[in-house]
Parts: sequence; structure tokens; C-alpha cells
Amino acid sequence: MYGELGNKLVQHAKRTQSLAHLPPYQTEMVRAVTREVRDLDKDVSAILEPFAGSFDPSTDAPTACALIVNHMCMKRNKRCLLAYHRVRSDKLEEMCWRGIDVLERQQQQSGKNGAEGSASLGAEVGNTSSLSPEEEEYVRQYSDLLAAYKGQWTDIDLTGSLEPPRDLFIDVRVLKDAGEIQTEYGAITLTKNSQFYVRQGDVERLIAQGYLQRLC
Amino acid sequence: MDIDDILAEVTQAASPQETRDLQELTRAWVAERVAPEILPYPDALMERVLERIRKQIELVEEQTGNMDPKTNFRLIVIQTELERFKFLVRSFLRARITKIDKHPLHISQNSLSYLSQSESRYLTAHQTLLSSHYQSSFLSQFPTSLHRLDDTTGGISMVDAPDADTAVFCRALNDVGVVNVEGTDRAFEINRGDCWVVRWSVIRDSVLAGDVELI
Repeated sequence: MYGELGNKLVQHAKRTQSLAHLPPYQTEMVRAVTREVRDLDKDVSAILEPFAGSFDPSTDAPTACALIVNHMCMKRNKRCLLAYHRVRSDKLEEMCWRGIDVLERQQQQSGKNGAEGSASLGAEVGNTSSLSPEEEEYVRQYSDLLAAYKGQWTDIDLTGSLEPPRDLFIDVRVLKDAGEIQTEYGAITLTKNSQFYVRQGDVERLIAQGYLQRLC
Repeated sequence: MDIDDILAEVTQAASPQETRDLQELTRAWVAERVAPEILPYPDALMERVLERIRKQIELVEEQTGNMDPKTNFRLIVIQTELERFKFLVRSFLRARITKIDKHPLHISQNSLSYLSQSESRYLTAHQTLLSSHYQSSFLSQFPTSLHRLDDTTGGISMVDAPDADTAVFCRALNDVGVVNVEGTDRAFEINRGDCWVVRWSVIRDSVLAGDVELI
């Protein structure tokens, strides 16, 4: 009671910040904190009821104090919830920018974890997917938004590397079969363990996705 | 007017528009990355730069079939330059987006005019998205008095603002004169060519006027 759970949620968020992946959504805890807020609100109205709207804090200091404590706790819980969700959505946005398909990865994971049933069933169960249904929806919409914003800069790939380019051409080694790609100098077939000297702009995506490795 | 001013004028006139644009873009990029607040979007400059990038890409596409070693080499130089330009623009836009995401409410309340059209569209869309996400995740079950996301009552403002007192490195391009550091009794004179480490809030106006550049 009185913000204890909210604190736990914030600790969770703090831990999430330093993790590479997204830990499971704390559905239970979020629900409990929300319930606490509702209970506090009920308390507030119960306390205020006998006064019928004519409450004067200066005459009844103890009641005023109780009200303030309840109110501050509600606000604090709200802040905790907001912080928790914001940290998670920030993380999801970052993944969107880096071109990681969050939803697909989630399904793969849940498919692996849920031994029986299909991938979609595993996601529905909820405890195997680390995203809440709301978050999945958020990711979907944010990717659309990002695509729309990116679409306005046709010549510049906004999600590209933020390292200053040094060379036009680089050496890469193929880690996974990536099929054939088209470049200005003709098509190249990327088969595993082969090495190429290619234009950086052509293969940047593939490096980000882990198909290719850059050799220095 | 001393010899430096005359020299500066000569060099300014001598360098073509393209070179000055590159200089301006680099300056805007550095400033955007250093300043804690979002800065005005350089509309005309970006248009010119994007137009030139587009032309260069066209040129490269036209010439690729050419096997003449001379043009081939020229092409490589152009492409390298193109990649660098693209990097500048990308990094610049990303720095802005990061700031927009960090202080969305502050920006939409105070400096909305600094954004480009597409950026402000992104800002509004993102905010609607976020608030509906909060709404569906937990906020809908809250008492209505707690629904607002930009509440400033109760001693704590929910609107996160950038820290205007962050120290920045800057170089004076023109004489600015004596400036006072607010809240302290420090005052100092900024002359052309000087380098200082000062609070952003102190030189903010001079930077926007173009008298001081961030480094």
C-alpha cells in the first residue's frame, strides 16, 4: 500500500534500461498499482463524503493531512506507471529505429518457449511474450509513423549508420546466406563464408541485420 | 573595420554557394548536437542541400555504365562526397528527432515554430500514439482528475524541459560585447574569435543570431 508497488515498478524500469532485450511486461504489478490508485480514490471520496463539498482544510488538519497523503500517493503511482511504460516504449522505439522487427522476434520467442501450439497461440497466452498487447499495438503504429516520416526523405536513409563514413568501399564477410543483391556493378551472390569488396551504402542494411560482417 | 574583417569579406565572397552551404550545414549539425534545446530548422538550406544530393545521385546513375577510367574515378570521388553529405543530413535529422522525442510537450508548447512541417507532424502523431498507449494500458482506469499528461499543479511539472544551464563550448564569429551570467555576478566580454565554455542560456540569443557558433 501507499506506493510500495510503484517503487518496485520503477526498479524494474531502471533495470530494463541497462538490458539489451525487453524483460516480460509486469501485467500483475501494473494492475495492482492501478487498483491501488482506485482504492485511494475511493478512500478520498469516502473521507470527503460527510463534508458534502464544504470541506475547510484549516479547521480539520488531520483529515486534510490524510487527503494530501492519499492524493500524493495517487500522483506518485501515476508517475511510476508512466515512467515504467515510457522506458519500455523508448526501448521499443529504439528497436524500430535500428530496424529490428520486434513483433516477429516476439513470435519466434514465444514459438520457441511455448512447446505446444502455434506461435500465434503462444503470444495469446501472454506469459511467453514479453510485450503486452497494448505494446504490440504501439510498436505496429510506431513503425508506421516512422515509415511515414522516413518516406519524406527519399534520398537519405534515416535509419542508416550514424558513424561518419570513411570509405566508399569496404570489405565484408558473409555470415549467413543472403541470396543475390543488385548493385551498380552488377549482381552479387552472397554465399556463406565468402568475402567481397562492396560499396558500403549497398550492404549497410545487411550488416545491420547480421548477414554480413565488416572487416577492418 | 580592421584587416580581419576585410579578409573575412573577401573570403566570403570568393567561396561559392555550395561551399558556404556545406559550411552552414556542418555548423547547424554541430550546433544541433551540442545545444540542449532544439534549434530552428534551416528550411532554405536543407532544400538546397537535398536538391543537390538528388542531382548528384542522378549524375552517378547516369554515368555508372561508363567504363572510362577517368570518369570512373571522378564518380568515386562524387560518391564519397555524396555519402558524407548524406551522413551529415542524416545525423542532423536524427539529432533533432532525438530531442523531439525527449521533450515533446515542452517543444509543442514553446518552440513548435522551430520544427519543419514533417517534424511537427511526427511530434503530434507520436504524442497521440503515446497517450493512447498509456490510456489503454492503465490510465483509463484512473480517476478522471488524474488523466492529464501535462499537469503542472502539485509542485511537480509533468512537462520535462531541457536543461538550459548546460555548459557548451562556443566560438564567437562576431563581437558580441559584454554578457552577464544570470544568477551570478559574472560578466565577461565576448570578442570575435574567442572560445568560451558558458551556460547555454547565456549565449542562446547570440547563437540564434549567428554571432556565436557552437563547437
